[in-house]
Amino acid sequence: MGTRVFNIVSGCRVAGWCIATALLMSGCITTEDKRDAVNAINAAFRADYEAILAKDGTRVYRVSRAEAYDAVRVSMARLGMTVEAQDPVLGYVNVYGPAPRPLNDAEWNEAAEADLPRTRQIIGPHVGLFRHFFTFEPRGLEILINATVVEVPAGTAISFTARMREVAPPQTGFPRREYLPPTAVRIALRKMWAEVEREFKTTVRRP
Amino acid sequence: MSEQAYPDALQPQYRMHWYTIERVLGQGGFGITYLARDTNLDQLVAIKEYLPVEVASRRPDSTVRSRSEGQRERYRWGLDRFIQEARTLARFDHPNIVRVHSVFEFNGTAYMVMRFEEGDNLAALLERRGTLPERDLLRILLPILDGLELVHNAGFIHRDIKPDNIHIRADGSPVLLDFGSARHALGKAHTLTILVAPGYAAFEQYHSTSENQGPWTDIYGLGATCYRAIAGIPPMDAITRSKGILGSTHEVLVPARNVGSGRYSAQLLAAVDHALEFVEKNRPQTVSEWRRELLGETGAVNAAPAAAEKPAASARQPAAPLAAPLAGTPSVPPPVPGQAAGEVHVAALTADARVIRRSWSGGPIPWAIAGMAAGAIGIAVFLWTGTSERDDRRIKEIQTQLAQAEKRLAEVGERDGKAREEILALLAEQKKLEEAKRRQDEQARLAEEKKRDQENLRLSEARLRQEEEARKRLEEKQRLAEARLRKEEEARRRLEEQQRLADAARREQEQRLALAKPPETVPVAKPSPQAQQLALGEAALARREYEKALEILRPLAQAGNTRAQDRLAEMYADGMGVPRNNNQAYIWYSLAAQGGSTTASTERDRIAKLLQPAEIRQADSVVQNWRPR
Repeated sequence: MGTRVFNIVSGCRVAGWCIATALLMSGCITTEDKRDAVNAINAAFRADYEAILAKDGTRVYRVSRAEAYDAVRVSMARLGMTVEAQDPVLGYVNVYGPAPRPLNDAEWNEAAEADLPRTRQIIGPHVGLFRHFFTFEPRGLEILINATVVEVPAGTAISFTARMREVAPPQTGFPRREYLPPTAVRIALRKMWAEVEREFKTTVRRP
Repeated sequence: MSEQAYPDALQPQYRMHWYTIERVLGQGGFGITYLARDTNLDQLVAIKEYLPVEVASRRPDSTVRSRSEGQRERYRWGLDRFIQEARTLARFDHPNIVRVHSVFEFNGTAYMVMRFEEGDNLAALLERRGTLPERDLLRILLPILDGLELVHNAGFIHRDIKPDNIHIRADGSPVLLDFGSARHALGKAHTLTILVAPGYAAFEQYHSTSENQGPWTDIYGLGATCYRAIAGIPPMDAITRSKGILGSTHEVLVPARNVGSGRYSAQLLAAVDHALEFVEKNRPQTVSEWRRELLGETGAVNAAPAAAEKPAASARQPAAPLAAPLAGTPSVPPPVPGQAAGEVHVAALTADARVIRRSWSGGPIPWAIAGMAAGAIGIAVFLWTGTSERDDRRIKEIQTQLAQAEKRLAEVGERDGKAREEILALLAEQKKLEEAKRRQDEQARLAEEKKRDQENLRLSEARLRQEEEARKRLEEKQRLAEARLRKEEEARRRLEEQQRLADAARREQEQRLALAKPPETVPVAKPSPQAQQLALGEAALARREYEKALEILRPLAQAGNTRAQDRLAEMYADGMGVPRNNNQAYIWYSLAAQGGSTTASTERDRIAKLLQPAEIRQADSVVQNWRPR
């Protein structure tokens, strides 16, 4: 079932590429239209993103600050992310990886399949029929994750945030989106928390 | 030669453009010649300044002005000619003509820049040696003729040829100098001045017009120069010669052929005498003509004035039968070589004969009459020897004819006397006019000087008044400045007094507090190690040594130093030495803002706009729970 959906999506993407390119070359969609469409996506995804993080962006573990900090770094590395900046004193770690990491391709496609219909609805008023050729593009993007480790009365609070960063021009000519698709955020958080807790289980010994 | 000898000259070291005056080389009627240095090329040059003393004078500011308003136009005309002639002469490039480099106007006059010729002056050479042998004389004369011919062909005459103006280079080659006085022989009939070199100037140069001047005038100067080299003395000046010729004195020129006989070739002496003919028309008319005479390339010494040669020839034979009676002068003994008196008499005879001829416009007429008379006498004598009656009648006829011839001779003598009187009257009138003109010019000059003195006096008084006013203004300024200083000093004293009183009050207060409180240790104003580190970190940051700055500032920031936090945030915000990271910048700016930095607060708000709300909450959580280490 999953493979069939993927083939359909891939087929649509190929056709969409051709038509989208033709439309762009014919000048049917203006730059203002594309910008408005992306802004609409960002606004919608941001709300979902903020809601998701408010619900599951921070977890408190009864571990020391140092243990939490190390666990975060190891977890991110296991998910294929690279540390870009860190400050143990502050309890801050910044990692990045090429999209769709920390998701794999299947997870990315899953996210796309889940969020694409809504996305096309969002951009429909701006791009019209072109909305049917819109796809999520992992290429040319990096995913940045900020993690903080803060001592709290209950233990140590670990917090994650994520965003997308452009490293190459988009193939469709669309402006880049900052916010990950909501489903991708959920999948990413699930994977990160799972890795952190696995780390805690292996490293933290309770008296 | 001292500079006092040239009161009108520019002073040594006087600078005109890139020429610096070194000394005076000489002064003539038209100007002063200086030795100067071309500072651009670092070489000596001769500069002739146009300063015709007759019509212009030097002012105290070194400028040259006409002596009077009436002479201004005349001065200006001469100045224009001077410049124009310099420009023309500059075109001549002949080894025996002085090279003119440039001409420029300055000081209200003009300056002709010429090549400075090293060597000796012919005048000085003659002064030392007395005379020159023919070979040496021709070695100087012939090249000069070549150059002069070039100038004449261009329509110019030198007008001041004399030994002083002939320079002998070290290699013996001559060069004709001082063309500053050369005047265009053609065109406008003006001469600027009648200042001439006595002995070397032809009679026509003493006239007020230049219509009868030409190459023959320069030839006279050259002839006179040769005469000087032959005789050891210059020929007498033309005015004196004219008096002798007219019979008022016996001082007339002894011909070169008499003075130089036996020492010089006849052709040279004859050519010199020809050049020194009193009347210009009797001289060689061109240089080439005279050159041929000098070199003996012509059969006759003077082909043109053939009639004039006759009395000259008779001069060599003192017993000339007709000249003496016609001239009305006593017969003279034959010349004795080396006896000046005899030479003078012979010359007087010759010259008078010439002058009589010249005084008659008909030239040959007196000779014809004299011939007729002589013929009649001869016939009478012949017939007188016969005794026939027929012969008596013939004798009577002849006597009648003789009487008529005598009458004619008397008429001739009367006409000659009349002509001589006319000439003398003209000369007297000319002299009178010149004297009157000289007096007039002198009066004008004196008036001009008086006017100039008055003007100078007025200027001096005005300058003195100005200086006095300036002095008063300066004194007033000084007085005001002193008053201001006094006021400032008083204000300073008052302030010091106030400070002293305040210090006393403070000390009194401190003493009272000290009595009330136990003594405290006085903090020493010494920079803390943290402050020193911060300074080092900021200095490293300023030097863009980011790694070092980060190494210093990060621990300080982590220890809670607000300024270090601010700097660290700045590094993250701008990516200085670290990857740009707005999250970290936000955190550090927030911490610095907590420490009281208003700039950090502003920067934090700016960065916040770039962050997600979730990221801001995340960072705020870090900030809220952060404790300095």
